[in-house]
Amino acid sequence: MTNTKQSIVATGINKYFYDPVNFHVLKDINFEVNKGEFVAITGKSGSGKSTLMYLLSTMDNDYEGNITINGQQVTGLNQKQLADFRNEHIGFVFQFHYLLPEFTVLDNLMLPALKLNKKPKEEIEHRALELINLLDVKGQEKKLASRLSGGQQQRIAIARAMMNEPAIIMGDEPTGNLDSKNANVVIETFRHLAKELGQTIIAVTHDHDFAKRCDRIIELADGRIV
Amino acid sequence: MLTSRIRQLMVAVLSVIFGISMYVAMNGFMGGVNDSQTEITFTSMAHIKIYNETPDEVAPITTVPKNEQAYSYVSNTKNINYTEGIKNVDGLKNILQDIDNITGYTAQINENVFIQNGVLQQSATLSGVETETENQLFKTADYMVEGNFFDIDKRSDGIILGIGLAEKMGVNMGNSITLSTSQGVKKNFKIVGIIETGAMSADKSKAIVSIRTARQFLSKNRSYATEVQVNVEDYNQARQVAKMIAPHTKYKVQAWQEGNAQLDSSSFLRDILAISVSLTILIVAGFGIYNIMNMTVNEKIKEIAILKAMGFDGQDIKTIFVSQALFIGLIGGFLGLIIGNIIIRIIDHVPFNIGPMDSLPVSYRPQDYILAFGFGILFTFIAGYLPARKASKLDPVEILRG
Ligand SMILES: Nc1ncnc2c1ncn2[C@@H]1O[C@H](COP(=O)(O)OP(=O)(O)O)[C@@H](O)[C@H]1O
Ligand SMILES: [Mg+2]
Repeated sequence: MTNTKQSIVATGINKYFYDPVNFHVLKDINFEVNKGEFVAITGKSGSGKSTLMYLLSTMDNDYEGNITINGQQVTGLNQKQLADFRNEHIGFVFQFHYLLPEFTVLDNLMLPALKLNKKPKEEIEHRALELINLLDVKGQEKKLASRLSGGQQQRIAIARAMMNEPAIIMGDEPTGNLDSKNANVVIETFRHLAKELGQTIIAVTHDHDFAKRCDRIIELADGRIV
Repeated sequence: MLTSRIRQLMVAVLSVIFGISMYVAMNGFMGGVNDSQTEITFTSMAHIKIYNETPDEVAPITTVPKNEQAYSYVSNTKNINYTEGIKNVDGLKNILQDIDNITGYTAQINENVFIQNGVLQQSATLSGVETETENQLFKTADYMVEGNFFDIDKRSDGIILGIGLAEKMGVNMGNSITLSTSQGVKKNFKIVGIIETGAMSADKSKAIVSIRTARQFLSKNRSYATEVQVNVEDYNQARQVAKMIAPHTKYKVQAWQEGNAQLDSSSFLRDILAISVSLTILIVAGFGIYNIMNMTVNEKIKEIAILKAMGFDGQDIKTIFVSQALFIGLIGGFLGLIIGNIIIRIIDHVPFNIGPMDSLPVSYRPQDYILAFGFGILFTFIAGYLPARKASKLDPVEILRG
């Protein structure tokens, strides 16, 4: 079923919430994302976009169906295995940039790589500085994360997501909290990563402009793909 | 890693410092009190006493009503018992010489006598001592307030009185007194020294002469003694050593604890009191840390979720918070030990003039410091572990959804 071109294969996904009432939030979701694709997930508020994204990110493992990422079936792994998988293969960008405010920009970037613990510290620092250049936030690396502007913080968050050269970057409304100018910068950054570096990206958005500039749109309505 | 606010950190460290320094100070002081009690006790009593057990029948006979005829009977019975004693003390000493852990021993003759000064008469305990070894065991010479302890060797009519006894008799250095035994033997002595050991009852009743003088006075042979006092390396081991001596002699071998249960148990009770009060303080400090760590976890809930999203697992999160708590425990513990030691040194210099003491008694026992540090680390670990476990179980999805 899977081949080397596929980054994400989701089959027969169903998800329920039981609290406060039984609620069938995702209904028979099937889709694939190819390597190097830049995909947008759109849909009305409450249609289940975030819920789907948390399943794909492996943070939520309470669902029916099967998810395979880069040929590895993640459904059924235990918490510790999922954490390690996330650390190595998935970069996540949130709506609220969520850097560690008391850490410097550089320390924020280095954290996932230090956790992965596959490269010496100097190499990790080198990689972090490269990404800072790539995302055009040069000269900010020694500042505390909380001192940066919103647009800068979101670019650092993207850089952090890329630190371990993940298979996929996932975003839940990564531009949702930015003004149009900064949103544009982030969208351009994603496009650049996908086109030039072949980075697979999947992002939830309800910004039409964002969705239009993606390779493909997956639209959800009431927990189903339309 | 996820550092809480500096001020909270300081409060946590201070509470550990307080707990641990109080532990060290309380136990150091109690240890000092216990040690000084024991020390005072051991100025007149050795760790082990070897003596000829007086037959039980003596007691009822002494209660016979006082009329002239009965009196002579009692006197005779006593006589027989007293002649028991230890007849060949040199043989016993040879045995003691070969036993390990014994640091010294001395033979004594202890006998109840009457002291007379003109019309004043007092009962007293006459101790005939071997000055050299007596001084080794009890540092008797150090407690002399007047005269020289060894002068009783120089003159066979020399006697040293306890300070309380001398006061009761109204006598002083150089004065003469008369001693009489229960059999009516009398002899004049000259006071060559006054002693104050700090043990009130001994100071009020004790009269010391050389053992040779005592033997002459009581007409005993030159190897006679009523008891042999033995000191061992560690007085807590007295019972074990007593058990080692017992098979080699027909005499009664008694460790100090047996005759002095109250001493042993009051030391024990003081220790329990000190430990429970100081543990309570440490536990309260632990609650303080628990509170602060809990607050930190609640404040950092977003950061915890991000770390989990990045692939840090529950164990990593736990390690972060537990190591922060241990950091607090180590810093606080280390400073607490230093401050506790300073408090103890200050107490050590507070003037306190009773008995042989001139300042409040303290002890510097390594185990107080080890236990204080150990309990401190244990409580901070527990206080950090519970919030850390809570943090490790947080569901990042729930938090990131907002
Ligand atoms: N933890 C939860 N318990 C119960 N219902 C939830 C929970 N999280 C989300 N929902 C519900 O699931 C539906 C989908 O939510 P979500 O995936 O956040 O939608 P979207 O991101 O598309 O706006 C919503 O109706 C929401 O109220
Ligand atoms: Mg959403």
